[in-house]
Amino acid sequence: MKAGIGVRLFACLIALLFVTPTLIVVATSFTSGTMVVFPPNGLSLRWFEEVFADPEWLDAFANSLQVGLLAAVIAMLAGSSLAFAAGRGRGIPPGLVTALAVLPMMVPLVVAGIGFYLVYVTIGISGGVAGLAVAHAVLGLPFVFVNVLAALKGVDRHVEEAARACGASQTRALVRITVPLIAPAALVGGVLAFVSSWDEVVIALFLNTPEFRTLPVVMWGQVRSGIEPSISAVATLVTAVSLVMAGLILLGPVLRRKLRSLWRQQ
Amino acid sequence: MSATTGLPPAARRRSPLARLAWSDYWSAVGLPGLIFVILAFGVPVLVIVVKSLTDPSPANYSAIFDSGIYRQSVGNTVQMALVVTGLCLLLGYPYAYVMARSGRILRTTLMVALMLAFWTSLLVRTYSWQILLNDTGVVNQALMEWLGVVDEPIHMIRTKFAVYVGMVHILLPYSVLALYAQLRAIDPDLERAARGMGARPWQAFWRVTWPLSLPGAVAGSVLVFVLALGFYITPQMLGGAQNIYIGQAIVLQVEEFLKPGVGAAMAVLLFAVVLVVLGIAARFVGLGRILGIGEGRGK
Repeated sequence: MKAGIGVRLFACLIALLFVTPTLIVVATSFTSGTMVVFPPNGLSLRWFEEVFADPEWLDAFANSLQVGLLAAVIAMLAGSSLAFAAGRGRGIPPGLVTALAVLPMMVPLVVAGIGFYLVYVTIGISGGVAGLAVAHAVLGLPFVFVNVLAALKGVDRHVEEAARACGASQTRALVRITVPLIAPAALVGGVLAFVSSWDEVVIALFLNTPEFRTLPVVMWGQVRSGIEPSISAVATLVTAVSLVMAGLILLGPVLRRKLRSLWRQQ
Repeated sequence: MSATTGLPPAARRRSPLARLAWSDYWSAVGLPGLIFVILAFGVPVLVIVVKSLTDPSPANYSAIFDSGIYRQSVGNTVQMALVVTGLCLLLGYPYAYVMARSGRILRTTLMVALMLAFWTSLLVRTYSWQILLNDTGVVNQALMEWLGVVDEPIHMIRTKFAVYVGMVHILLPYSVLALYAQLRAIDPDLERAARGMGARPWQAFWRVTWPLSLPGAVAGSVLVFVLALGFYITPQMLGGAQNIYIGQAIVLQVEEFLKPGVGAAMAVLLFAVVLVVLGIAARFVGLGRILGIGEGRGK
């Protein structure tokens, strides 16, 4: 049964409201003027040039990238490890493992931020890629866990048993058979972990130092002191990276099939 | 047939602890992950709890309720979270309904718009509302110059209104996704059957579709509600200084008033409330449905 025309128009209006704010930010970043106005006063790339010439933005960009990548890798390793325990282990109750693995999803960022801040102050580390990456890895871990656990349910145990019957050790069967089968799911979780780290402001604010700031933290500081087209330019770049990542996840299966068929043709 | 049949003979000679781990190969594989979560998540949570009780004393908890700022921020936060949850349900339900009951083109369009909003950074979306709602912003410009409805700018930024708008924009995708998952699972034939037996469209919806979609509505609303409780960035950027929310109150205690003990106590209470709300809701609709687990989506 189809939805009525009135409801459909309403939904389209909401859809417009979903995307318009971001589109306006993108538009204001291409202004040639010095004010954030819409429609922009003339078009230029000057604010992008300014951002790419500013060492503060570039440092922040590099920091965000490093934190995000490291967080994604840690989340992939720890999340997959937990998914194996929850999906197949019996020694530790699977319910307990699942609870521990999804709990970070539920913690308000402010709470996580103050927790990491207190721990890092106590043990005397602050303002580093590793510290923030560990915090972000915890937040990203549930994405990996959930995806890998779902993939693990679809793995045919007979394939592994065949490898075992052919003489492979349990670890060898794991590394050669199971891990490649769940790798795409782990990668999807890893990309989600990267994006959540890439966006994350609250914990990054708690752990920032004048020498170590991520992109959202610098952006936050700049927005607090006034709106400028350069902030719009950074916002556009940040959004572009997130959307490319989303595209990778959503179109990933299609791309993989394409690549595979190309591979077969050769 | 279990994969744990291949017990290494050496394991039988090891200590009881090692034997426990080895007798269950997959738990051993999970051990590194478990250690990581306990160290990197359990320890910070434990430290907050300890800090709230010992810096300087459990009186931190009574100090919270003695402070006017905190009492006010609790009231503001609960009110804001309820309003935002209500609005998300009101706006999200028709959206999800159309997605579940329309042709491919419209569904894809709505899904793309939803995903674009969902994947855009929270900070960028909040910033976009600051641009839009400024006194010289796009909305005022439209009202004054293009439409000519008002003569002077309406003050919207740094008000509750701006906070609500920003929060709804950020949280609406969560409620739509939960509702869509539920609505899509309802067999359209049930509505057709109701219509076939003489129900008017509105009756068919109200008596068949709506009751069946309730678990999704509850799941989405609970998720939006608990997420709204802990927000910091959006209220801080779009809200006024006179109306602060719990997230801001916690940061103030730690960074401005230098009372980490009181901040930690507030954080413990906030986390406890979130867990209790989720726990109660999970008994009715299941935690998986609330967190969108099983769909393979995240965020």
